Amino acid sequence: MTAPLLTVDNFTFSYDEAEKPVLHNLSFTVEQGEALLLLGPSGSGKSSLALCLNGLYPAAVDGSSTGEISLAGKKLDAYLPGEASRRIGVVFQDPDAQFCMLTVEDELAFGLENLNVPREEMADRMEWALGLVDLQNYRTSPIASLSGGMKQKLALACVLAMKPDLIILDEPTAMLDPVTTKELAETIKALHAELGFSLLVIEHKLDHWISFMDRCLIFTETGEVMFDGIPEDGFSFYLDELKEQGVWLPKPLVFSEQLNMAGKLPLTEDELLAAMNWQAFEKAGQLLQKERREYSGTILETRKLSFLRGAKPILKQVNVRLPKGALTAIVGPNGAGKSTLSYTLAGLETPDNGEVLYEKEPLAHLSGAAMSEKIGYVFQNPEHQFITDSVYEEIAFSLRMQKKKEADIEQIVGEILAACRLQGLAHQHPFSLSQGQKRRLSVATMLVDEQSLFILDEPTYGQDQKAAAELMKMVEKRLAAGFSAVMITHDMELVAAFADQVIVLVEGEVLFAGVPHDLFSDRSGLLEKAQLERPLAYSIREKWRLRGESLAASQA
Amino acid sequence: MRLHKLNPSIKALTVILLVFLLSFVFDPVTPLLYWLFIVVVTFSLGKVETRKWLLIFVPFLVVALGYVWTTAVFSNPPAGTELVTYWTIGPVEITNYGLSTGLALGLRVLCFAGLSLLFILTTDPVKFILSLVQQCKLPPKLAYGLLAGYRFLPLLTEEVKIIRHAHKVRGANRETGLKGKLFALKRYAIPLLASAIRKAERAAIAMESKGFTGGRSRTYYHQIHIQKQDWLFFGLMIGLFFLCVFVSMQLGTFRGYGDI
Repeated sequence: MTAPLLTVDNFTFSYDEAEKPVLHNLSFTVEQGEALLLLGPSGSGKSSLALCLNGLYPAAVDGSSTGEISLAGKKLDAYLPGEASRRIGVVFQDPDAQFCMLTVEDELAFGLENLNVPREEMADRMEWALGLVDLQNYRTSPIASLSGGMKQKLALACVLAMKPDLIILDEPTAMLDPVTTKELAETIKALHAELGFSLLVIEHKLDHWISFMDRCLIFTETGEVMFDGIPEDGFSFYLDELKEQGVWLPKPLVFSEQLNMAGKLPLTEDELLAAMNWQAFEKAGQLLQKERREYSGTILETRKLSFLRGAKPILKQVNVRLPKGALTAIVGPNGAGKSTLSYTLAGLETPDNGEVLYEKEPLAHLSGAAMSEKIGYVFQNPEHQFITDSVYEEIAFSLRMQKKKEADIEQIVGEILAACRLQGLAHQHPFSLSQGQKRRLSVATMLVDEQSLFILDEPTYGQDQKAAAELMKMVEKRLAAGFSAVMITHDMELVAAFADQVIVLVEGEVLFAGVPHDLFSDRSGLLEKAQLERPLAYSIREKWRLRGESLAASQA
Repeated sequence: MRLHKLNPSIKALTVILLVFLLSFVFDPVTPLLYWLFIVVVTFSLGKVETRKWLLIFVPFLVVALGYVWTTAVFSNPPAGTELVTYWTIGPVEITNYGLSTGLALGLRVLCFAGLSLLFILTTDPVKFILSLVQQCKLPPKLAYGLLAGYRFLPLLTEEVKIIRHAHKVRGANRETGLKGKLFALKRYAIPLLASAIRKAERAAIAMESKGFTGGRSRTYYHQIHIQKQDWLFFGLMIGLFFLCVFVSMQLGTFRGYGDI
């Protein structure tokens, strides 16, 4: 057996010598061609590890480390500056912040230039790398014109062009929608099999990756490895710990738990299907019968809403109705006009044609102040909404606007802080909070206003399972109190679990408006057209049905 | 010879040198003639949209007129200058000296604007920076940093729009007046800076992870050379300048640095 490609031996890393180490006594190896999954709560140092492995840390951050990392039998310190980075490629999460050039070919060239590849060879290597990720037709396109998924494929092509031995994927799909995520994961799966590089995957949502991971490492919150072995064992032995840490578990696993299925834990949809029997299937069918919230009346509706950007129509004659006391989901592919529609519903954008009626009264007749008292909006990036210097002031802001008494403000803020589990952070700067805390604060600032309608843009985006569940609990509480909500999301599981109504928007037109159950049971190709993924429960039902049909056909 | 195809560094050098030379000219005829040449060169050798050119040029025209007016009105001729008064408007006297100095200054501004436009509208910023690295030995660390920053500009404008919406929803845009506006600006700045710094950090890490060390040892996909035509352009522009000086001398209108 040959020596492992990468050996990490007793490695400890800290950003500051005085602080607690981010990574603690790590020891593991990566074999040539192996695919390794890194699992752990956010903040457990997985991303720091990625940068330590390719030699950027500790030097880039003046951190300190002990222990050793060797690549291909040679210590990392013994490589020249930049040399280790050339053998280990990384794809990062932010599609907008990993390029430094303007066009696709220049970006590819950048990496090759760093490698001192002769100019004559570059064109061939670029063609080859672009071909691998199916971007050959975009060689001279500006990067800004690519979609998020294409940008991530380009990032992958840039790394592939450098022919690394190991590719590290640092949450490459965190900012992508489920359909694009699936596509990227499948591309990587195929390339991994074809080219034989080693792979180290750091991901939150595992569904598309788990099927080709050879091994997994589970990290604790303090940056130690608590498990190193095959994924199946990891999930069976450490299920409770993983849940406690807020790690997103593979959907089939969660599903099998809901059904109380015995035996081996299924990690992929196929495994789940194989393990299911008639009883389990019956039970799964019952899960689809979700209890419905009661609601009546209409809070907001649009009449023939049209919106143009330049000459390009973004919304075409949109008629939607938002029921009072219910959660309406707006779904559809990127660029379908979801954000524009939500901005128009909130009165932030003025439609070119048509109108928005709030309780039968045109929204345009309301003053800006009246509008922000009635409609709230929680933006995708919580930071965008912060306007003061402390958590306390952030929540008190609109109360002060309403000229409430200081004593009242103090009481209300205290209650909200407790409700959002932000006690003790009242005097922190909003920007210094963790991702989950920021999100809760941004929702808290909306709760305090008690607007009768609030709009959420990708509420669970970039959050761990625990934080997402907490947030949805807050939303449900609001709904139970008679408030209405709209959420824009790509997450169909979220829609299936929480929404009362779903609106499908494609190219500025409403293709469907109704209960989620009807949408996900549709067989007319609507889901494909809107690039939506069936939630697991529905997808299982579909596959079961198809299997039943083919079985019946073979017996006939 | 096409302006777009010229070596950006030589083009920049030419423009800088001409700006320097023009600062020593104090009569209106030389810059007027030269300005005409600049316009002819811009439109005959470069593919420049007239509308775009005018859009940027017009503000400079306003500035230039301002120069002419203020200098003409508040001119301070040295003692012993023969003055001819053209107009008298109340206490204001417009003299030959004032008007000619004003025109000279105004036309100089137009020449500077014309030269800058010739450069900006015919130069690809990426090629310019690459040329600075390859010809002028600009450190790659700085150059590629600049390029990465240049990429972020459109992203930032998009972000400002979202922040404005986000603040409006919270009712934070209700203050009016200068103080309120300034306050709003401060509120936009913090989230914008936070995200810009984060993006910059991420981009830097991504660049380094692709083996970028900032060192000079690298190959170039776009090799930018200096060719004969670049020096030809350089010679042409400098030659035209001295031609204008010569014509103005012949006309007896030339006034240079020493003639004040």
